[in-house]
Amino acid sequence: MKTALVYSTHSEHTSGIAKLIKEHLKSKATEVNVEDTSFDELQKYDLLILGVSTWFDGELPNYWDEYLPGIDDQDFTGKKIAIFGLGNQIKYPENYQDGMGILAEFFKKRGGEIIGYTDAKTYKFESSAAFENGQFCGLAIDNSFPKAKTTSLVSDWTKLIS
Amino acid sequence: MLRMNTNNIYNHSMSSTFHIKHTDKETLKKWFSLMALGRTLDDKAPNYLKQALGWSYHAPYAGHDGIQLAIGQIFNRETDHLFPYYRDMLTTLSAGLTAEEIILNGISKDTDVAGGGRHMSNHFAKPEWNIHNVSSATGNHTLHAVGIAKAIKYYGSKGVAISSQGESSVSEGYVYEAINGASREKLPVIFVFQDNGYGISVPKHEQTANRKVANNFSGFKNLKIIHCNGKDVFDSMRAMHEAKKHVLEQGEPVIVQANCIRIESHSNSDRHELYRNDYELNYVRDYDPLAKFRRMLLRYERFTEEELKSIEEEVKEEVKVAHRKALAAPAPSPDSIYDFLYAPAYEANKYGIGIHQSTEGKPIKLIEAINETLKAEFRHNENTFIWGQDVASKDKGGIFNVTKGMQQEFGEKRVHNAPIAEDYIVGTANGMSRFRKDIRIVIEGAEFADYFWPAMEQYVEMSHEYWRTKGQFSPNIVIRLASGGYIGGGLYHSQTTEAALASFPGIRVVYPSFADDAAGLLRTAMRSQGPTLFLEPKALYNAPQASTIVPDDFEVPYGKLRVRREGTDMTIVTYGNTTHMAIQAAEALAKEHGANIEVLDLRSIQPLDEEGILQSVNKTGRVLVVHEDKVFQGVGGEISAIISEKAFEYLDAPVKRVGSENTPVGFNPILEKAILPNTEKIKKAAADLLGY
Repeated sequence: MKTALVYSTHSEHTSGIAKLIKEHLKSKATEVNVEDTSFDELQKYDLLILGVSTWFDGELPNYWDEYLPGIDDQDFTGKKIAIFGLGNQIKYPENYQDGMGILAEFFKKRGGEIIGYTDAKTYKFESSAAFENGQFCGLAIDNSFPKAKTTSLVSDWTKLIS
Repeated sequence: MLRMNTNNIYNHSMSSTFHIKHTDKETLKKWFSLMALGRTLDDKAPNYLKQALGWSYHAPYAGHDGIQLAIGQIFNRETDHLFPYYRDMLTTLSAGLTAEEIILNGISKDTDVAGGGRHMSNHFAKPEWNIHNVSSATGNHTLHAVGIAKAIKYYGSKGVAISSQGESSVSEGYVYEAINGASREKLPVIFVFQDNGYGISVPKHEQTANRKVANNFSGFKNLKIIHCNGKDVFDSMRAMHEAKKHVLEQGEPVIVQANCIRIESHSNSDRHELYRNDYELNYVRDYDPLAKFRRMLLRYERFTEEELKSIEEEVKEEVKVAHRKALAAPAPSPDSIYDFLYAPAYEANKYGIGIHQSTEGKPIKLIEAINETLKAEFRHNENTFIWGQDVASKDKGGIFNVTKGMQQEFGEKRVHNAPIAEDYIVGTANGMSRFRKDIRIVIEGAEFADYFWPAMEQYVEMSHEYWRTKGQFSPNIVIRLASGGYIGGGLYHSQTTEAALASFPGIRVVYPSFADDAAGLLRTAMRSQGPTLFLEPKALYNAPQASTIVPDDFEVPYGKLRVRREGTDMTIVTYGNTTHMAIQAAEALAKEHGANIEVLDLRSIQPLDEEGILQSVNKTGRVLVVHEDKVFQGVGGEISAIISEKAFEYLDAPVKRVGSENTPVGFNPILEKAILPNTEKIKKAAADLLGY
């Protein structure tokens, strides 16, 4: 399964998690920088692992915001989409992990199959665009987590999506 | 925990006209040019202050680029009305203002189209194009947008009113009043909340619990809430387009919550590094909307780097030319300060100084005189409206029935109740009167004058609209207030407010005490331009002593007193309730002591008939000023100072005053009597003064 790890190399925290995911993945993944990649690039892969944080009051980071209009007429049917998000439950409980939810909705609408849902039980937030039937539509990493917890979450999730 | 619906561009992009790939190149070029022009001016503005050329107040808009462009783009100056706030530089440029007009406002030149440098810098406007000149009091214009929307709806126009404001302005109570009114009356208004997270230095979580303040209104009926990314051109265009379409098609208001960022400080007197850390400052800079739009134009190959640079060069040149022209423009003249202070009054000269000798017909009560004049003027001008608390409930026409029968005759569109929201009553009148110059609005500013205080900010606003716009707009409004005591009403049904309310230049204040003067002054007020405060002594509404014969076409000019009793020994200057007491006291002193006292009924407090007062003082040499309001800080202080300054040599005695004690008006009749002036107190003071 051709796999891409898509995120912004310019981002600090998201890049860190992407590296961690790459270490835990069994198969090889190509790193794609969403800031300057071509609009055809994502079609080359079967599994897309997307990294996204949430900016401001529930928005995508500008790099995703600037990229999506370029692929919004594409069909992602048959592709698996796994999303990891970065958020902050304490500071932004109203828009927790919205970035992840926005991306999931975007790819779902275009035929993509979202995989890697995780249990949201241990999280505390008010509302989230990534929250569906008690689950997040991807891996929710929180800035407040200790390193060990993050590593263990990443390890479990990579098994789930591989 | 909730599943939150995302309302963002990706839900709309495939169907949206506004898309980086689909929007035509000419449009993209126009947008980029406006955004580059705006930012060049935004960045340049602080230099004017550094060079001591003006623009001492500048609130940078950088970070609001998407939504401001979009507001201006959907605005149609032929049909719409735009109320921009002090950060709306790009909004107004996008709506059609030129760079030169922006700079002329910034450096307060006489040719500034907003109002000749009279209003503060960064208050961009062009009333001629329905881009209204608004207050510095944040969100104050929300009520004006709702008011003009009443007119848009009434006259069946196809436009929308747009109130643009920061998210913190929504903390103001009157903003809730405005949105409540628009929701209740289903008015064509778009409220745009430009949310940059701060009210000067106060973060939004210290303003309200919801991060997105628009969500506070989710329970309001007939109101659509649209969220957008105010930093993104396409999403902002989508949101404003959708908002306007909804208003026009559904006939109900919309809130657009536009999430923005503030890249710079609040203004040039603020230092944001005192309350924002480096991380945050870098974070917002990273999402510079103009840089983002530019990157996208290149990435999607809509423009080449050379093309964009060429546009940027053109913009720089445009600003240079505008700068030179603006610097050479004339400054306002110091001699002009009294120009446009009062909008033209109706020339009420049919009865000279407003005195009739009619003996035909039978006397009518003061309340009937007001009621009949209102009706006559409503027949005379079909663009006349009245609203207020309680003014039109079936057979009831106000708490005192002053407007009785009006709704039956003129219909509920012209005569209707208002919510108990005094600021709303006044602010919407101000807004509606902008629609046509022949509109006249009468409002019962409050159920009793005592409840008018919440409307003070709109009252102050109204006082300087004409001056501030250099004569481009006058609120043509009559504010009626049932005033004064003597009804056993206590602290909140006895206040008389003229001393406080006459202290704002720009508003005429009248206070009749007889039926004929009430009719004559009301007719003049309803035919004049500009606001008039019409104070009604409610204790005299049905009083026989205030009843007179009233000619059908009677009119009384502003600033002309009426001699109600001629005399030579002393002058009593008075108005309102105390006119009758003064006459009674004078009659008693004539009988008891043979004194011959002249009683002047001022009728107008602003303007004041200085000449008429001085003429009488010259004749009598003794003056007693009597009014119901408190002596301390009362109108009598001003009158006696004028007499001391201008007629000192004619005085045989010091000017004395009788008025209310410097206390609230107590409810128990014993207290009320001890506090308010009455015939006995006037008689005693007059007798003392005669014996001086």
